[in-house]
Amino acid sequence: MSMLELEHVSKSYGRLGEHVALRNVSLCIEAGEMVVVWGMRRSGRSTLLRIAGGIEQPDSGVARFDGHQLGDCPGEPLGDGIGYVRKGFSPSEGQLIIDHLVIGLIARGVPLSLAASRARAALERTEMLHCATLRPTELDCAEAVRAAIARALAFSPKLLLIDEPTIGVDLLARDGILLLLQSLAKEGMAILTSTGESTDLSGARALTLSEGELYGQVTRELGTVVPLRRRA
Amino acid sequence: MQSAVHWALLGLVIERPSYGYELANRFEQAYDGMLQLSGFSYVYTALDTLQCRGMIEEISGTRSGRQPKPRYRATAEGIRSYQDRLITQMREDFRRSRLFARQLAVFAHEPEMALDVIERYGQACLEEAGDTPVLAPGGACADPVSGLAARLVSEERRLAMAARLPWIDYARREFKALVVGRSQPR
Repeated sequence: MSMLELEHVSKSYGRLGEHVALRNVSLCIEAGEMVVVWGMRRSGRSTLLRIAGGIEQPDSGVARFDGHQLGDCPGEPLGDGIGYVRKGFSPSEGQLIIDHLVIGLIARGVPLSLAASRARAALERTEMLHCATLRPTELDCAEAVRAAIARALAFSPKLLLIDEPTIGVDLLARDGILLLLQSLAKEGMAILTSTGESTDLSGARALTLSEGELYGQVTRELGTVVPLRRRA
Repeated sequence: MQSAVHWALLGLVIERPSYGYELANRFEQAYDGMLQLSGFSYVYTALDTLQCRGMIEEISGTRSGRQPKPRYRATAEGIRSYQDRLITQMREDFRRSRLFARQLAVFAHEPEMALDVIERYGQACLEEAGDTPVLAPGGACADPVSGLAARLVSEERRLAMAARLPWIDYARREFKALVVGRSQPR
């Protein structure tokens, strides 16, 4: 069973469904794997991530996380264990970076003291603990991405979804973010990211999305299972 | 001089004067997966050729001792030729890309065949892109030159991919439009 499975997913927008975002997309991602989907603008890559996160429902096809169909529980669009990295920090959610992490956890019913320690641990994991008491406006682009990843990590997700993780990030800081994502995958997390103009495909299973169609190796290549020979 | 191995060896001598056996080892480390020596002895043949062409010279006094290890360094002529070669090689790559595009266009009347080639080309590009290592600036490398070389190679591969993927997307759309156009009644 894969961590994330999309089966023949299609999605259209518009009154008559004239804008096709995804056409019959199938994709499997395993635990500990990082998959990057490259696509031009309006290729459907953000829709793909939103459907993978259960934020949107497909018109047809099925999205499953850890064996459970996403969207089965109304009112809880994000499957438990899925971290969708939002890059914006709304002032209504807190003043300081640590507040943004803690408030999200409290909203999910985590006690304050535990929320604070989990938030600090997530910031430490993304090498952002030194920015915990800064305001989001004081962060540079790379730091803002790391803080956003930390906010998602605070929920200990099994699957992390992030749209264009390095867009606008300085070239020298870019690889640091990619290495962070790779290290999370090595720890067993499944990661699905998208990229557009940039080329953050290194070290990952790379796919392309064009006019809503997915190209490339949509399932992880696994070695052939060789049956053990019985003793005579 | 046509041999890519000869030029690569000249480059290594430019990077740092060396003797034959050392060069063979450095070659294997520097060009692993890109170029291959047919054997260590080939290095000595290549050094002779480079010396005859005035591209390298033996450093005097390095042939003495019980086990003489003549070291070679690049001449000004060798460095100039190497620079020219880099540019010529790049032009050859440009020409090859144009040739590929032109040769693909022969399938204008059979666009499905072109789409098949494009998919296979796209798959090869994605595999190459996925295999490109992510290297942290100043990451663990034996020496600064190797680290710089690794980063330059990695970034070149990524930027080449940044150009190829939109082209593949474009070519796919062109040939798909031909398929659609052909299926519509006139």
